[in-house]
Amino acid sequence: MIENLAKNLVELKNEFVKSYEGKSQIQEVIPKSNSELFQVTDAHLELLHEFATKNPIYYNFFEKKVGSIDCIVYEGDINRFWLNSIQHVSSKAPFSPTWIMSGYIATLFAKELGYSEVIDIGSGDGRIAFCAKILDMESYSIEIDEMLVELQKLLSNKLDFHPYCSDAVKFDYCSLNFKHPIFFIGGLAQMGGADLAEGVLQKINSISHLNNSGWVFAGTYSQKYAPDPKNKAGWGTFIEKNNLKAIQTVSLPTVWTFHEPESTPYIFSQSI
Amino acid sequence: MDSDIDISQMFYSESLKLQNLIEAINTKTDMNVREITDTYYQVINVSSIAAMLKQHTESEEILNKIQETEKMISERFNSSIHPEILTRLSLSIQEMTKTLQSENFTEKSKEQIEYDAKLFEDLRQKMSTREFVQQYEIGISHD
Repeated sequence: MIENLAKNLVELKNEFVKSYEGKSQIQEVIPKSNSELFQVTDAHLELLHEFATKNPIYYNFFEKKVGSIDCIVYEGDINRFWLNSIQHVSSKAPFSPTWIMSGYIATLFAKELGYSEVIDIGSGDGRIAFCAKILDMESYSIEIDEMLVELQKLLSNKLDFHPYCSDAVKFDYCSLNFKHPIFFIGGLAQMGGADLAEGVLQKINSISHLNNSGWVFAGTYSQKYAPDPKNKAGWGTFIEKNNLKAIQTVSLPTVWTFHEPESTPYIFSQSI
Repeated sequence: MDSDIDISQMFYSESLKLQNLIEAINTKTDMNVREITDTYYQVINVSSIAAMLKQHTESEEILNKIQETEKMISERFNSSIHPEILTRLSLSIQEMTKTLQSENFTEKSKEQIEYDAKLFEDLRQKMSTREFVQQYEIGISHD
């Protein structure tokens, strides 16, 4: 069922790209209500819409039928956050979010795989951690950019996804008492994501009871980036070097692939 | 033999294009991103042809022309125009960044936000052009 949701979202995105005539820097859609193609409870959809309407990165929204699905289109601009994030020496990649609906589906997979906590590393506006919280998982959101963390605080009133302003490589993970966590790493391997993942993985590996943690990496098949000799959408070498194994790959729309034919492959992996 | 003639003819015509570009820069107070990248590509292009031709020709006339062109690149472009371009780019990036940072984003209309997005796009272009120019600098410092 979750695989179908992911597939249907990619198709919805492809349909939306064909008909979108706006000029906004970023744009995404969320289905208005539960349907055969998007079997999501209305209460969850309502929370996803609330996240978008309260989020100051979006300045406009309107209803639109995309294919057979009634959706709300959200138009936004993240330039000021980009401007702020490039001034961090230790920031590995500028802020560019996944779609809210993609964050929801990715966390559904995390829950189905049996993880109890989601930790969103380089979390931007915190949408993945927010989605995990909708699914009754415990979640934590770690972001180095203070402007983005201020934004997260605005969005975490109703569902507290625990925003932390910190360099994820230096963060004290022991203090959170994880049981069975899964870490979402922000940023492509080629855009600093591999360095970030390496730093966090080393910290987690030093905590003995967390060697069964899950890892989710955002990959790319775009020819703009150098391919990895071990594939896995840019993460193959990293996965092999760190004794992980890929257990599932799910393609989902993201802001940065809006104009690309391929969506973003999310590689779910765990220790061998 | 024919290919040597082709290369030398190419060298003469590409050197002339470069000379015209450099003359045009002298009269300009500001260059756009396209003009900057075109000029650097032409410098790199002419330098590569010259390096190849030097290995294949014994003609004194051609060797003299190569020397003259290399002198133009070294003295007029590398020592004067290139540092000037880098300085202007850095200043322009600094000013644009400051202006954009001082903007009040909360009270803007949809149209204003979408207009401003173009300014951010210009800033990104200038930043990537500066990276390209800095890469050239690394190249000449290793020569």
